[in-house]
Amino acid sequence: MIKVRIPTPLRPLTKGQGEVEAQAGSIASMIETLDQAHPGLKDRLCDETGELRRFVNIYVNEEDIRFLKGKETSLNDGDEVSIVPAIAGG
Amino acid sequence: MADLVIPQPILDELVAHARALDPYECCGFLAGTGQTVSRVYRIKNIVSLEGAADAAAFDEAKVQHLSRLTPDERAEIAFIMDAQEMFHAVKDMRKNGLTLQVVYHSHPHDPARPSVTDIKIADDWEENWARLNLTLPIYLLISLKDKTCPDIRAYWIKKGAVTPARIGPA
Ligand SMILES: [Zn+2]
Repeated sequence: MIKVRIPTPLRPLTKGQGEVEAQAGSIASMIETLDQAHPGLKDRLCDETGELRRFVNIYVNEEDIRFLKGKETSLNDGDEVSIVPAIAGG
Repeated sequence: MADLVIPQPILDELVAHARALDPYECCGFLAGTGQTVSRVYRIKNIVSLEGAADAAAFDEAKVQHLSRLTPDERAEIAFIMDAQEMFHAVKDMRKNGLTLQVVYHSHPHDPARPSVTDIKIADDWEENWARLNLTLPIYLLISLKDKTCPDIRAYWIKKGAVTPARIGPA
């Protein structure tokens, strides 16, 4: 199982849960799996071409997937994935 | 002793960045070694991008305010850093052995003090820096409220508490 941290802006899609679990071998399949359980999540993370949106970061354990293989980054049992909105302010 | 030494040319570059984007907010990182800043990374403010404002962890009042503005106007009161550009900046820091020391942005119309939104998002990010093995950055603000006399101030934001950080030119 993969543990996935959900940021506040996306929690309305996960019934308020800050952490969900998924069975997936890659980030791409994790996104598909999460979208089935929580419809609309994929659209918030990826644009129409499937690319990760520019205001979203996904970290596997301690690393930005952009440093790894992006959406093709593989996942192993016990990995922790964090979805983190880009740094912002007002 | 200063928490961070920021050489004058770097301070000048921050003001130049803020002025270049005025009346919109600019944002970026400072990086260096030890207590000394050596590099500015300008990051694109993508708050106007479709869907961006909904994805950010803005507080309710900010969300309300932003919803009444056109996408362009949103950049006058908010910023969202382009995560793709942040990645390239962090990659460059790693390559050059630099530490991310400062997250900066400008306030085109307001004083150089963190807003409620700034504090909320700094709070959200506090655990991320640790998780990513990065040190907690200093938050720096450039105010253009007085257009002829930009004001630069820096702060630590820890556990929701804001304290001034001591910055000094070399
Ligand atoms: Zn601000």
